[in-house]
Order: sequence, then C-alpha cells, then structure tokens
Amino acid sequence: MADKSSRRDFVKRSAAVVAGAIVLPQIIPSSAFGMGRRIAPSDRIVIGSIGTGSQGMSNMHDFLKLKNAVQFVAVCDVDSNRLAKAKETVDLANKNNNCRTYGDYREFLEKEKLDAVSLALPDHWHGIIYTETANKKFNIYGEKPICRTIHDGQTIVNAVKKNNIIWQTGSWQRSEANFRRGAELAINGRVGKLKYIEVGLPDGGKGIGTPPVMAVPPELNWEMWLGPALKVPYRGVSHWDWRWILDYSGGQLTDWAGHHIDIANWGAGLEHTGPVEISGTGVYPVEGIFNVPVEYDFLCKYANGIEMRVANAARLPLGMGTTWHGDLGWVHVDRGNVISASDPRILEEKIGENEIQLYKSDNHWQNFVDCVRSGKPAIAPVEVAYRAISVALLGEIAMTTGQTIKWDPDKEEIIGNPRASRMLSRPYRQPWTLPTV
Amino acid sequence: MKKQYLLLLISAVLLISFNACKDETTGYKTLIITGQNNHNWKASSPVLKQILDETGMFSSEILITPDKGGDMKTFNPDFSKYKLVVIDYNGDSWSDKTNASFMEYVSNGGGVVIYHAADNSFPKWKEYNEMTGLGGWGDRNQKDGPYVYYKNNVMVIDTTSGIGGTHGKRREYIVTARIVDHPITKGLPVRWLHGNDELYSLLRGPAKNMQILATAFADSAAGGGTMRDEPVLMTINYGKGRIFHTAMGHADEGGGPAMQCVGFITTLQRGAEWAVTGNVTQAVPYDFPSAAGVVLRTDFKQMTLEEAIANMGTYDIAKSTKNLTYLQNQIRKLAGDEQGLLNLEKMMNKALVSRESTVEAKKLLLRELSWMGSEYSVPAIKNLLSNADLKDEAEFALVRLLAK
Repeated sequence: MADKSSRRDFVKRSAAVVAGAIVLPQIIPSSAFGMGRRIAPSDRIVIGSIGTGSQGMSNMHDFLKLKNAVQFVAVCDVDSNRLAKAKETVDLANKNNNCRTYGDYREFLEKEKLDAVSLALPDHWHGIIYTETANKKFNIYGEKPICRTIHDGQTIVNAVKKNNIIWQTGSWQRSEANFRRGAELAINGRVGKLKYIEVGLPDGGKGIGTPPVMAVPPELNWEMWLGPALKVPYRGVSHWDWRWILDYSGGQLTDWAGHHIDIANWGAGLEHTGPVEISGTGVYPVEGIFNVPVEYDFLCKYANGIEMRVANAARLPLGMGTTWHGDLGWVHVDRGNVISASDPRILEEKIGENEIQLYKSDNHWQNFVDCVRSGKPAIAPVEVAYRAISVALLGEIAMTTGQTIKWDPDKEEIIGNPRASRMLSRPYRQPWTLPTV
Repeated sequence: MKKQYLLLLISAVLLISFNACKDETTGYKTLIITGQNNHNWKASSPVLKQILDETGMFSSEILITPDKGGDMKTFNPDFSKYKLVVIDYNGDSWSDKTNASFMEYVSNGGGVVIYHAADNSFPKWKEYNEMTGLGGWGDRNQKDGPYVYYKNNVMVIDTTSGIGGTHGKRREYIVTARIVDHPITKGLPVRWLHGNDELYSLLRGPAKNMQILATAFADSAAGGGTMRDEPVLMTINYGKGRIFHTAMGHADEGGGPAMQCVGFITTLQRGAEWAVTGNVTQAVPYDFPSAAGVVLRTDFKQMTLEEAIANMGTYDIAKSTKNLTYLQNQIRKLAGDEQGLLNLEKMMNKALVSRESTVEAKKLLLRELSWMGSEYSVPAIKNLLSNADLKDEAEFALVRLLAK
C-alpha cells in the first residue's frame, strides 16, 4: 500500500514538474506523454542504466557516441564506487550534476520515468530485473545471454511481448557487415542446402582455486549482488569473474551463445525454433570455486535435419566463429571482420531482390534508438535472443546429466526426462521471486 | 594346535594359488630399464612402476644397468619375456648384442615407452632414434633429422641447421592435443594444464612413422622459449612394435609435480596400454586436469567412490573440491541407470543426515540432490528446513524435487 501511494505522489510530482519545466532541469521522457505515442526523431531518448560494470559502461559509451540520440538521467548499481563513476560519466556528458543514483533497482524502477533502460547485470539477476523493467513498460537494451535458465527466458519473452516494448539484445555482431553477409549467403542457399553448422566459442581459462573467505568491501552490497542466488560467503569474486561460477553463469558457453549461436540461427532460419535432440560432453575443473565447463562439445539436431555442433574453439578445425556447411560448400564468419568460404566465388555472390534480405543495421545502439522512436522491432529481438541462449542452456543440461536430451521446441519442454526438466528452472532464494507477467 | 596348523596350511595354499594367479593374469609383464641418467632415476623409476602397476594392467619390474663406465656386456636382458619395456635411461651405450636383441623385440611387436630424458640417450644408435622419433642433446643437430613442431596450428618439418634439444625454465604449461581421436587421447580434454615441468624444445630426429599427439607452447616469457608448439606426446611405429614417447615428467624426489600430474599419469598409463595392445580400455579418470588448473595425485592413486562419499562428510571447500567433482562425475556416469542412481542417492542421504558431516558438505549434497534425487530424499531434506544454516539449500532442493 505504501508503495502505491508513493507512486501516486510521484506521478503528481511529475505533473508538477511538467508545469514548472522552465525552472527545473528535470528531463521528461518523450514517451511519458502517453502510451502509443512514439518519439520524434529530433527528441533524445531519456535513458537510465542498471548495472554499470564493464559491459554497462561500454554500452553507455556506445550510446553517448551517437549524435543527439540519448540522454542518461539515472544509474543504478550495487557497487557504490561504480555508481559514482557512472554518475561522473553521465554528468560530464550532460554538463550538469543531475544524474540520479540508486543502489536498489526497485527504487530505480519505482521512481524513474524513462523511455528506455540499458541493462547489464550478472545472468542470475536477468529473470527478475528484465521482467520487472518490461512490466514498467520501459524499452530495453538488455545484455546477452538474456537468461540463466530456460524458464527465466520464457518469462522475459512473455513480459516483453505483453508490454509491447522495444527490445534490443546486446548481440551486436548482428550489426556488423561480415556477420550479416555470411548469414545472408547461408540463408539464401549460396552454400547449397544447409546440412551442418559449427559454432566455436572461447576455450575456458585457468581457475583461482578456492580463495579464503574475506570481508566484503564497503562499496559492495553483497546481499543484493547475490539476490536470488544461494547465499555463499564472499571470497573476493563478484564483478566480471561471476561468469566462471555456475550459480551466476554458464561460462564462455553461455557468455558467447548470444553471439555466434545467435548468428548461426540467423543464417540458418532457426531463430524462432530450437533443437529436438541435444547430446554432448563437458570438461569441468577438478579443483576450485570456478566450476563452469572449460571445454564443451555438443551436437544439436533440428526437426528439419540440420545439425549444429557447439564447442570450445580448440576442438574445431576453424576455431572461433560460425561456419554454415551446405551440400555445395561452407561460409565462415568471426570477429575482426572475418568472412571466408570453401570457394572464394561464394563471397562474390549477389543476393537478388526477390531473395531473403536480412535486417540491416550498421550500429547496434543507433538501431535501438531508431526503433524506440519508430516503434519498429530492433535487429536483435527478445525471442531470437531466447532461442540462441536456449541452445547453450540445453547443451549445459545434456552435459550435466550425461544424457541425450529430447526437446520440444514448440511446447518448450524437455520430453520424458524429469531430472533434466528440473534444470529448466532454478528456485530463487527467499524473498526473491520471479515476477508475474 | 592341530586346528592352527590346518589354518596355516590353508592360508599357505591360498597364498600360493593367489600368487600363481597373479603371475598369470595380473598384467602385462613390464620391464623398466634405468640405472644411468642425467636425471634422478632413483626417484623416477619406482614412480613409473607405481603408476603402471596402479592400473592393475601391468606387472612391472625395475632393472638397473651397470653404473656409468661399468661393464655393459653384463647387461643383457631377455626382452622377449616382456610385453612392455619402459626406458628411463640416458647413459652408456648398450652392447651390440643387447641393442640387436632390443631391436628384434620391438620389430616383432614389443611395446615401448620412451620416458623424458630417454630421448636424449644413444645419439649414435640409428634404430633407437627411429624408435624415439625425436631426440635432443648428445650433439644432435641437422645430421640427425629435422625439427618437428607446430606453428599456428600447422605441423612444421624444419630442416634448418642447429642444435637439437633445449628447455626453458621449469613451469606449468598447457598441453594441447593435436590428434583427438587416437586411442590414447580420445575422450581427454583437448587442453590441460600440466604440473611444473621442463618443456623439451628443439627436438629433432628421423621422425619416421611418427604421430604427434600433443604439443605445448614454449613461450619466450618463460626463458628459452622457442615460440613454437613443441611436441610432448608422440607415438612411433617401428616394425610391428608400437612406441609411446612422453617428453614430460622431469622427476624430483618422490616424483614431484611433473610426475604427480594426473595428466602425466593418465597419458603414461594409456600410452603404455596402447604400446602393448594398440588400444586403450582405461576410462578417463574424474580428476583429469583441464585448462582450469593443475591436478596432482601425490600418492599416485585415484580416489574410489567409497572414499569420495566417505570423505564427503568432512568436505572442506577450502582444502579441496575433488570429492564434489568425483560425485558429479559419478552421477553423469550413471545417467539412465535408475538403480545405480538410487544407490548413489542413498549413500548421499547417509552423508546428509550424518552428524559428522560438515555444513559445507550438506549444502553441496542438497544442490546435487535437487536435480538427481527422488522421493527417497524428501523426508531427510524436509528435516533440514528447520536448520538455519541449511534452510535455503533445503528449500532449493525441495522446490525442485516436488515440482510437477
């Protein structure tokens, strides 16, 4: 009840601000004037950021590089040092001292009125915060992988759809020319009929053993950082290195699924479906708290006969990147503008007007801004992101159980394996719950 | 008195029959040759014996040659009695007769393991160098054959002039498999961190009928680095014989990290089996290292399931997470075996309800039971809901186990 009244007060205050806009520097989001109204091309998107670590700040800088595109007004982080740095960056860009700061995302979402939110958090927080942000009807630029479990992903997809917001996943490779070109050659049959796709993601690195339990640094709200994850003592691992611990991430495999698996799906027309059978093996560290697989190698079979092998780079002939193999040849793409083919003439092929033209964007952050203004879908929509990470999460389940997993990509259920099915979701530690959509 | 006598007799008979049995069936007769080496052979040879015998597949004995400068004519083993000969030797030439006998043994299909500095030995014995494939030191240079190594993931056969054999400072290094479907490497991680060791570099030799199974990058930062991926595991065919060559395993007293490394132990055990039979039947051990870190077995023994579960109760994450790794590996191995999983679940339950078990151990057991467990575990887990230390994990497990 208290929450509701404070929200009403807030809305009233906002109205007052509009009336007194001449004297107050408060920025009013253009979309606040009514649902359905889109933002004029001349108006800047009013945006806030939850999660201001390395990826959150990287995205902030990418948004700030755009001309007259966004205005950051609020930032949120559980680390007060990072929060202060983020405010400094925003204030410098805005040439004022007005950036609002929050240590608790709930307060951020309650108080802020925004066009969009940029989200970059450890994966175990995605389910709750992505869903709640969507429920606030804020447009979202959300980091990949969009979820830690399949169930979290389904909830996020539903929330985004139901709230009819613009969603852009941080799968920025889609806005790079070589990836788009490779995908377009594959989907238009320039390697023949697609048979097999290889996806190489990074090899796992060295662990740190088990560091001693230590005092939580004063700037870090450890309880909030853990959130829905099981409580563990602080051992000096939080920022960045959370990705090597299964409670928070699936390692390089899930970290990169939103890149090269996403690209593989794009070029194979598998963006809105999933495999029907998944099997493979992982190599897990023997010692230490970093427990994600350092090697992984699994095969996904699709209903249309296509097979996709996902493995750490050292296991694959072409290493990192995506390779589409058809009955006439192959095309390979990777970062660093890499594109190669079994026959160089494939790369010279033109795509005709009546063939499939893939969505074109040459700046991932600009594309989000443009879509928030126009109301059109962005290049990396939410369901597509969910389908990309599903491949990795199903691979993870196959490797953990040591079993071949049967998956129904329409019902989004594991078939006939109750043990494996339990891993489709993960109970949250009280008092946290996944919001309803 | 009579009764005691009878018991003694029975034990004696049993002992005799047991020994006879052992001789016939316990393993491939293996000869480890040592006695001269610029390395600590007194430390390495018993460890090699222990590692091989630990498999239950080999029955090995150590044969010590005469000392350096001694009368090598007296060294004349009957190789034909053995299935496997392990060379832990770098010293005086053997007699022509012994050399001929060894060549005959290998040509006829005898198995050989070349261990570490054994590839330094006998620079002038042409056939021996054909068996090792690559060697170093002993004035080896371009006359002895090319350098063979990997560069940018491509094998290079390099005939340029220069010395054979060097190594940088001892260090841990990543071993990368180059052939992943060979019986020796199949199923092993493609990359694993090896215990502190010398990384032999600039090896050169005839390299005939040789396959490089694995390499390690000799980076310059570690001193003496060649910036090449240097071969560390090789197989060579000589006549009908199979040779497994491991350039790793520099011995300290008690073996040291290079020999205690589970990667060294396992590849030696698998390589030895392959040298004898051309195949590998040994399972990949749960504690095989990955790129995540070095794993040592200081006693050269692999933990059993019973030990893992027994130790689970006193599990201390700060000391080692091996027990948990073993348990998870065991669950994966039992995939689809309902009875096997239930038996394991019962063992886990025992540790879960035991007063002796640490909170740490119970938390980990609850996490594993949350997905692999059954109704069987539900009562025990419900009891833990009132335990403040375990409430969260117990709830976590119950929500999953009771979900429809």
